[in-house]
Amino acid sequence: MTAPAAIAGPSAWRRATRSGGLAVGIAMLGAMVVVALLAPWIAPYDPNDQNVMLNLAEPSAAHPFGNDQFGRDVLSRVVWGARVSLFVGIAATLAGVVIGTVIGVVGGYFGGWVDRAITAATDVLLSFPQLIMGLLIVAVLGPSLFNLILAIAVTAVPAFVRVARGSTLAMRERDFVDACRALGYSDLRIMFLHVLPNILDEVVVMGSLWLATAIRTESTLAFIGLGLPPPTATWGAIIREGFDNLLDAPWLSIFPSIAILVVMIALNLIGDGLRDATDPKAPQ
Amino acid sequence: MLTFVAKRLLLAVPTLLAVLTLVFVLVRIVPGDPTIVILGDQASNEARQALRERLGLNKSIGAQYVDFLVQVASGDLGRSLTTNRPIVADVAAVLPYTIELTLAALFVGCIVGIPLGVVAAQRRDGLVDWFARIVSLAGLSFPAFVSGILLLLVFAIQLRWFPVISTSNASDPLERLRALVLPAINLGFLMVAYVTRVTRSGMIKALGDDYVRTARAKGLVPRLVVWRHALRNVLVPVVTVVGLYLGVLIGNAVLTEIVFNRPGLGKLIVTALNQRDYALLQGLMVVAALAVVVANILTDLTYGLVDPRVKTA
Repeated sequence: MTAPAAIAGPSAWRRATRSGGLAVGIAMLGAMVVVALLAPWIAPYDPNDQNVMLNLAEPSAAHPFGNDQFGRDVLSRVVWGARVSLFVGIAATLAGVVIGTVIGVVGGYFGGWVDRAITAATDVLLSFPQLIMGLLIVAVLGPSLFNLILAIAVTAVPAFVRVARGSTLAMRERDFVDACRALGYSDLRIMFLHVLPNILDEVVVMGSLWLATAIRTESTLAFIGLGLPPPTATWGAIIREGFDNLLDAPWLSIFPSIAILVVMIALNLIGDGLRDATDPKAPQ
Repeated sequence: MLTFVAKRLLLAVPTLLAVLTLVFVLVRIVPGDPTIVILGDQASNEARQALRERLGLNKSIGAQYVDFLVQVASGDLGRSLTTNRPIVADVAAVLPYTIELTLAALFVGCIVGIPLGVVAAQRRDGLVDWFARIVSLAGLSFPAFVSGILLLLVFAIQLRWFPVISTSNASDPLERLRALVLPAINLGFLMVAYVTRVTRSGMIKALGDDYVRTARAKGLVPRLVVWRHALRNVLVPVVTVVGLYLGVLIGNAVLTEIVFNRPGLGKLIVTALNQRDYALLQGLMVVAALAVVVANILTDLTYGLVDPRVKTA
């Protein structure tokens, strides 16, 4: 992992792939996505099948990750849990990216009181601990798939507003925007066909890092008891059940923890790799 | 200095007001009748009416809002719906534990992160640099409850070096410190990641700057150049990042307290959630938001300490 040479350095692609982190991250995440998509076929058992004979059974050849307090196969639950975590994370991040970016571009492009109002609202939302905000929303609305996605998306919006607004402010001063105005293009057309494509790379970098936060928030809420109601298998909920049986069955919390870690490390590697690729001045 | 503090406090008022409004609105969009949520659907109409009056729900929404603001401004967060104790007293009883934990985590973050970042920047791509990269990647990747559980499993359950339950109300200060170690490491892990990254990239830039070259050219001891000249200029971004992520830290403190079974705001929040005590929840949100605002002010004040140029500006 060496520093990219100054301005006339290698192409973005070379910068991104040189460290290898990006490739490793994509491979790790890709594997997890495949597991999630193929869950019905690769999970060895039904994730909700209970078997009293196997309550808190240690890992064995038949059940490599052991069994939980209802005798359910932990491997199958971890495999199915990947679906919930990835789906909620991706849906919430997408919603946050779209809403936040649109608001940010509008604020940065128009300036004036619109921008001031948007900035003030963003500052307020950012002054709230993100996790506690998500917690409050789910607690108030009740833990359903939609509400979880909504809560996590709401906490993501201000971050994307800030990024999109900052980049748009810089773009607004560029000559091509003046040229578009001179051509009589509508504000809407300039904003979303000309400015937006130019700020997308920064939004994408932020999005990959935020996906990690979104998945972490989902599992955290599940761990606190605000996830999807049982018996749905989610990583956070399995860890919670493992935590309640930590002395008797440590494997219950260890295996889903490893699953979360794989996804988190993968997304951080991807985010860092993309940032290095888009920012020639970035260190390392 | 005093005028700076006063100005900063005045600036915080609109933010605080907006946060309070947000909390007020959020707690009031609970779907359905709050009295059914609190008393259950078997409660009599009289009981529900009495509760409505007690909570001020029979007043108009505007009057409720003004009541709420006046209450908060006078330092009253209302009473818990389940225990009827003043919420301020409940919060005051556990707040010191959360502050103790957060400060300990900040300490861990700086004491590990700054030296690690400096050495990593000095020996780029060396062994320490790789170690620093792995540590910060891990710190950013571990959800606080996952790292907490792993720490518990290894150091408390397997090795028995630390107590499993961090009842830090032990009267023996040494025992209290011992109970603080694992939670502080757990919460500090994330801070280590942020501080290491910022210190490293800041130092890489600073070590290439002219004043560092000058200091070296005039024959200063290399150690002095790095730790006194270059590092001083890196401290400002470090303070920024610490302040920026203090909110995240407060959120993670909640998780750490749950995993290590420590008293604190975290356990209070879980209690409020489990008992659907919306009054307590509302009070806790106000406290959390207040904590972030105070943290931001402290961050601004720290700039003046680490960089004398900020004060005059």
